[in-house]
Amino acid sequence: MNIHTYEKVWLIGSMVLIVGFIVTVTYGAVGLGIAMVDDSEETIEPTELDEDERFAEPRVEQVGEDEYEAYVVAQTFMFSPDPIEIPAGSEVTFHATSRDVIHSFSVAGTNINTMVIPGEVATMTAEFDEPGEYGVVCNEYCGSGHHNMEGELHVVPEDEFDMTELEIEADDEVETGDEATIEVDVENRMLEALETTVTLEIGDEALSESVTVDGSETETTTFTIDAADLGEGDHDWTVTVDDYEDGGTLTVADELEEDDDDE
Amino acid sequence: MMTMSNAYIEEFPAEAKVVRTAFYSAFLALALGGVFGIVQTLHRTGYYRFIDSADYYTVLTAHGVFLVISFTIFFLVGVFTWAVTTSLDRGLEDLRFTWGWYGLMAIGITLSGVAILAGFTDATDISASVLFTFYAPLQGHPMFYLGLVLFVVGTWLAGADWFRSWWAWKQENPDERIPLPTFMVLTTMLMWYIATLGVAAAILLFLLPWSLGLIDSVNPLLTRTLFWFFGHPVVYFWLMPAYMMWYVMLPKVSGGKLFSDPLARVVFVLFLILSVPTGIHHQYLDPGIAEGFKFIAMTNTMFLLLPSLLTAFTVVASMEHGARQRGGKGYFGWLKALPWRDPVFTGMALAGLMFAAAGFSGMINAGMNINYLVHNTFWVVGHFHLTVGTAVALTFMAVTYWFLPQITGKELWSRSVALGQVVLWFVGMTFMSNAMHRAGLLGVPRRTAEPQYEGFEFEAAVGSMGELQAQIALGGVLLTLSLVLFFANVFGTALNGRSDDLPANEYADALSGPEDAPLVLDNLKLWTGIAIVLVIFAYTFPLLSIIDRGGLLGPEIIPLPVFIESPALLVGAVEQLTAGTLESIRPVLEVSR
Repeated sequence: MNIHTYEKVWLIGSMVLIVGFIVTVTYGAVGLGIAMVDDSEETIEPTELDEDERFAEPRVEQVGEDEYEAYVVAQTFMFSPDPIEIPAGSEVTFHATSRDVIHSFSVAGTNINTMVIPGEVATMTAEFDEPGEYGVVCNEYCGSGHHNMEGELHVVPEDEFDMTELEIEADDEVETGDEATIEVDVENRMLEALETTVTLEIGDEALSESVTVDGSETETTTFTIDAADLGEGDHDWTVTVDDYEDGGTLTVADELEEDDDDE
Repeated sequence: MMTMSNAYIEEFPAEAKVVRTAFYSAFLALALGGVFGIVQTLHRTGYYRFIDSADYYTVLTAHGVFLVISFTIFFLVGVFTWAVTTSLDRGLEDLRFTWGWYGLMAIGITLSGVAILAGFTDATDISASVLFTFYAPLQGHPMFYLGLVLFVVGTWLAGADWFRSWWAWKQENPDERIPLPTFMVLTTMLMWYIATLGVAAAILLFLLPWSLGLIDSVNPLLTRTLFWFFGHPVVYFWLMPAYMMWYVMLPKVSGGKLFSDPLARVVFVLFLILSVPTGIHHQYLDPGIAEGFKFIAMTNTMFLLLPSLLTAFTVVASMEHGARQRGGKGYFGWLKALPWRDPVFTGMALAGLMFAAAGFSGMINAGMNINYLVHNTFWVVGHFHLTVGTAVALTFMAVTYWFLPQITGKELWSRSVALGQVVLWFVGMTFMSNAMHRAGLLGVPRRTAEPQYEGFEFEAAVGSMGELQAQIALGGVLLTLSLVLFFANVFGTALNGRSDDLPANEYADALSGPEDAPLVLDNLKLWTGIAIVLVIFAYTFPLLSIIDRGGLLGPEIIPLPVFIESPALLVGAVEQLTAGTLESIRPVLEVSR
């Protein structure tokens, strides 16, 4: 075949360019460790996510010092959890799956971007050095409300980050002569122990108790209040643990209505 | 009738009618696609919103399907019919067969088009706002899928028609090389036959039975992978007629000859063997496909740069040769000697320039790991508005100005309007695609009615979102004006009287002709064999692995007919759809009989 000299030079240059591209991509994978979303996860039944131990409750979990896992469910037209909260200086592995059609999980302006396909779980790990807030978008058309599908990713300063959860069980009504109890469960979903104070404010009173909750444990604090001290009527109360607050109303009555017992 | 003209219509009047009909069909699709284009541009950028955002996706589906399926492929069958008949210098073997495949394509695209457009009205349950990619579990009306099948079968028969011409010619010319334009047609069609197997399997085995209620579910990853088996090579199907024009028409209008016939053949052979085993590069971010398979697709994709880089060389060298024949001098001074006042030349040259830019953004897309940054963002939309939206569309419009006199026997209505049209397209697309690329880097998604969110804003490092939106809207308006000028010329020419003074139906000779090309290049069986082997290598294991993981029919999924807004209505709608299906396809079968 008759090939012009210039064309030969061009041909060789082109081949060098192509091989160069393949080498840089390979270096990105092997040298820099940019992993591709792949087939390492088991398949999953999209209609049975509620029974799945990872996706029944979409959440962030701590798995090591500065290491977290986020389980994300995409569905028309929302992400859960939303917002996703993680601490700065951490390494987070996202696991995303879909309950219905194909979506994406894409953190705007970053290279965190994956398709979310029903039946498959997409996994990708990213490092977050600095605090910041990012938008999460679905960038695959998923139906008529696609443009409303958004979420947020909050990277909070490490010292402001916790995974504390409050659960409170409190009496609604007591008779004047009885005692009211308010039980506060403080769950610490971090691995390290949490030292904090549980404070109850009711009426003019404030009761506090210091607690230490070990990692992945729940501690219960019980407050007992003499209804007589409060007096008849409705009393608003609040429980505060660090930044978390919950509250309710306690009714103190002379005599509770009988039909309560019938139920 | 006495005539001095050697125009195509004089040589092949019956074939000219076929080409003319195919072109007019393409232009109708271009007009519809263009209207939907400006509607969505103004809606998305927020400048003028008169439709509900939920209807945006119907507009988007129509824009995509009408432009990249109907416009491009109808134009292709016109160009290929011209190329085969002109270069073999013989008419088609049986025009009834030719009109048969044209009719099948027309019926098919009409069915799909009606299914899409019915999405605008509540009067019927028919809808197919599933976009050009129709990913399950999104579900369109069966008529949409059926129409696509008929359309593709029509193109298969068109290919058979051209092969028939070539076989007949070969009987009479056993020792001659395949003329270059025919060689390009045949290799492109072989690629197309292999490529469309993917979409045929996706529709016939899974999506159509599923939309008819014959099977309960499909494997979304499998149908998606089969779509991309077809979805990447289809872009070369759009591109190959443009490449053919750059090889056989551009050197001619530049005033010279094609630089090298053998390398042109090499380029088309490379497209035949490398176009299909690359589709997985659209699925770099898909869970359920191993990294190794993605790497193989990436490697094949990178090598697919080679034929395009070779084309860049040959096209520029041919233009330079033409310019020097016209008296051009100097290292770059020859550029001034090119016929810049000729819309056919200028349109194709600008299209080629845009294609070079598209090549760069394409290299980014192809890079497996940098793709994370741009996948499914507006960047990708910017990329393919340079490729199919300019390299292909602008070349088609430019050569239309050469073809119209050839197939109508009438002089072009206005060369100056034509020149303004191609330049306006280039300028409009510069604004639009540049802004799309930049917005993509900020993470702005493609395929959304409203790229503004409640919880956050996209932040531009340079410029602002407002400035990007303005550029896109301006670009869209300029492109629409350009289309108006284009159609003015098509209508104006049609209204002209017949002319006896038309240029002859000719294409470029080559400096280095087919005699320099090794015989093996014309061995179509060999290249087809290699193409099939490469496809088997690239796809067998991924497909088996996807089926092994997710099952042939996938997990239990809930189909989402996209016309239903409330999930609560879903179940009832699915039943209704299934029940109404037989009724709705009965008239379809009557039409196609």
